[in-house]
Amino acid sequence: MRRFAVGVALVAVLVAASKAIPEPDLTAADADRTNAPAASLRRAATGVPPPASPAFSVGEPRLLEHAETTGRYAPVVNPVAAVESPRPDADPVVSLLPTTDEGTDNVVLVLGETRRKGRSWVHVRLPVLPNGRTAWMPRSALGGYRFVRTRLVVDRARLRATLFEAGRPVFSAPIGVGTAAAPTPAGEFYVRLKLAGFDDPFYGPVAFGTSARSAVLTDWPGGGYIGIHGTNAPELLPGRVSHGCVRMRNEDIVELGRLMPVGTPLTIL
Amino acid sequence: MTHDHVADRAAEELAATLADVDSDGALQETAALAFPETRGGFLRRSLALLSGLGTAGVLASQSRAAPGLTKNDVAILRFDLVLEYLQAGLYTEAERLGELTPETLAWARVVGAHERAHVQALKGLLGRNVVPSPSFNYRGVTSDEQAFTKTAVAFEDLTAALLKWQAVRLDSRAVVAAAVTLHSVETRHAAWIRHEVGLAPVTSAFDEPASQERMARLIASTRFVTSPARTVASGRPRFTG
Amino acid sequence: MNEFCGEFGEVRRATRGRMLARVAGGAVAALGGGVLIALRPEAATPAPSVSTDRKIFDFALQLEYLQAAFYSAAVDGGALRGELLDFAETVGGHEREHVAFLEQALGPAASPKPRFDFGRATSSEREFLDAAVLLENIGVSAYNGQAANLTKPALGAAAKIVSVEGRHAAWVSALAGREPAPRAADPGQTAAAVTAMLKRTGFVQ
Repeated sequence: MRRFAVGVALVAVLVAASKAIPEPDLTAADADRTNAPAASLRRAATGVPPPASPAFSVGEPRLLEHAETTGRYAPVVNPVAAVESPRPDADPVVSLLPTTDEGTDNVVLVLGETRRKGRSWVHVRLPVLPNGRTAWMPRSALGGYRFVRTRLVVDRARLRATLFEAGRPVFSAPIGVGTAAAPTPAGEFYVRLKLAGFDDPFYGPVAFGTSARSAVLTDWPGGGYIGIHGTNAPELLPGRVSHGCVRMRNEDIVELGRLMPVGTPLTIL
Repeated sequence: MTHDHVADRAAEELAATLADVDSDGALQETAALAFPETRGGFLRRSLALLSGLGTAGVLASQSRAAPGLTKNDVAILRFDLVLEYLQAGLYTEAERLGELTPETLAWARVVGAHERAHVQALKGLLGRNVVPSPSFNYRGVTSDEQAFTKTAVAFEDLTAALLKWQAVRLDSRAVVAAAVTLHSVETRHAAWIRHEVGLAPVTSAFDEPASQERMARLIASTRFVTSPARTVASGRPRFTG
Repeated sequence: MNEFCGEFGEVRRATRGRMLARVAGGAVAALGGGVLIALRPEAATPAPSVSTDRKIFDFALQLEYLQAAFYSAAVDGGALRGELLDFAETVGGHEREHVAFLEQALGPAASPKPRFDFGRATSSEREFLDAAVLLENIGVSAYNGQAANLTKPALGAAAKIVSVEGRHAAWVSALAGREPAPRAADPGQTAAAVTAMLKRTGFVQ
C-alpha cells in the first residue's frame, strides 16, 4: 500500500513538473518508462544466458617469501677469466671452463651483481684455493640462474651436518670430518656437483662435490676437493677420521641426496 | 635419466606442442629458433621427424586428451603453460635480484605471483598432459631496468593478443570461460606496466589478436630458453675422502 | 555478491532525485514483477547461436551506453584535470566506438538507450575515479561472464572490446591509487549481478 502511494506521488511530481507542456497521456507503457528506472537495462539482462562454468579457477596468488631464498647459482657457459673487480682490465684470478672434470656443468655460486658502463658483472664464489676466494666475471659468461632455499651447515665441533630448507632444519646426521693433519676447512662454500651410480664403496652410494679444497692435500689427484659422501666404515662415525671430506652413513647420504640440490650454500663451522 | 635426455625431452615436447597447432611447418621453424642451445641438434632432428610423420602418429602416445579436453585444446594450453613458465620465471627472478626501480619491482612482485598462479592452474587442468618447464637464462634482463620493462611490455601486450587469437580456436566452452578470466588480467598487467614507464596504457578502442607463431618468434628472439645445467654425473669420485 | 561488489568499491550519489528514483524503482519492481534470476554455476547454458549473440550484445550495448554517457558527462562537467581529463577523453572515445560497433551489429533490434543521471560522479574528481573503477570492472566481469556463450565470430569481436576495458580498468585504478590488477583472474558475472551492481549506483534512470 505504501509503495503504491509513493508511486502515485512520483507521478504527481512528474505531472506537476510538466505543466508547461501539454499534459502527457500516461498510458501504462508511458508509466512503465517514467516510473521504471533501468527498464531497458533490466529487459536486456533477462535475455542473457547464464555464464558457462569455467574449466578451472585460479588459486590465490602467493607472494614470494624472500627469506626463503638462500642463494643462486649458474653454470659457466663460456670459458672465462674470473677477475679481481668488475672491470675489463682487472687482474685475473683464475680461468674457468664450462665443464668439470667429472663431466658436469661447472657451476658457481652468485653472490651479487653490478652494472658498469652498461655491462652486467657478477660476483661469484670460486672453487679454488685459497678457500673463500671470490671474483668477478661478465654475466654473459653464465647461463640461467637457479635459486635454492636450502643451506647445509657442517659443524666440525659437534660432528653434525644439518640441512635447512627455508630456514627450518629438515635433515641432521652424525659425520666424520678431517683429521688434524688433513682438516676439513672452515668457511663459506657451495655444493658443486653430485655423483651417483658409480661403483666405489669407499665413497658410498652418493657423493657431493663442494667448492671447498683441502689446503693441505694440494697435490691430490683431481685437485683435492672436499666431498660429502657415504662410507664403508660407518663404525668410525662420528669422528675426526677423514682426509678432509665430510663422511656420513650411507642411509644418511642417500636421504641428503633426495633433499639437497646442487648449488646449495655450504657453511662449515 | 641423464640431464641430456631431460633437456631434450622438454624441447621435444615443446616442439610437439608447437607443431600440433601449426600444420604448415612455419611454427616448427620458429620452435627451432626457440631452442638455439639444445645439445646435439636433437631438436632439429625431432622436428624433421615430426614433419615427416605428420603430427598424429608421433603424438598419439603423448597427447591422449584429459577427459573433456581435445587434442587441439591440449596443444593450446601447453603453449600457454610454456609461456606462463617463461613469464613467471622472468618476473620471479627480477623480484629476487631486486635491482630494478621500486615501482618496477612492485609490478614484478604482484604480476609474478599472478603468473605463478596461472602456471598452477594450467598444470592442474592439463593433468598428465602437462609439459615440464624449459630452463631459462634471462641474460641480465632481470637486472636491467630498460631491458626488463621493454621485455615485460612486449610480453604482456602479446600475451593479451595471443589469448584472443586462441579463444576463438578453443573447442571447449569451459576452457574459453576460464581463459577469458586470465586474458583480462593480462590486459591489466600490460596497461599497468605501460603506464608505469610512460607509454599509453591503451592505444585503440579495439585490441587485435596475434598468433602463436608471433609469440613463438618473440620467445625465440629473447634467447631465454636454454638447456638445463647438468649437475649430476656417474663418474668415480676423486675427492680427498 | 556483496563481497564481490565491495571489491568494486562503492559509489554514492546523494541527491534527492536519486532517492526518489530508488524508491520508485522499488515500487515498480514489486508491481512489475522484475525478477533477478538466481543462477547456479553448473546450470546448463544454451549452445551459442546468432540469436543469443544478439541478446548478449544488446546487454553489452546497455553497458557501453552507460560508460559513454558517463565519460561524456565527466568531460563536460569540467571538474577533471590533467591525466584524469586525458583518461576520460580517451576512454570516452573508445566507449563511443564500442557503442557504434554494437549499434551497427544490432540494428533496429537494439534496446533503447536508458536515461542517466551521474550526480556528483561527473563533477568531483574523487567520485569520478570511484565510479570509473567500478564501471570498468563491471564491464570486464560482464564480458567475461558471456564470452563462452558467444559464437566464435562474436567472441572474436567481444574479446577485442573486453581487452580494452581491462586496460581502462587498470589505468584508472592506478590513477585512483588502487591495485591495477587486484586478482590473478577476473571472474565473469551473471547479467543479473551486473544489473544489480549498476542499479545500486543509481546512475541508470
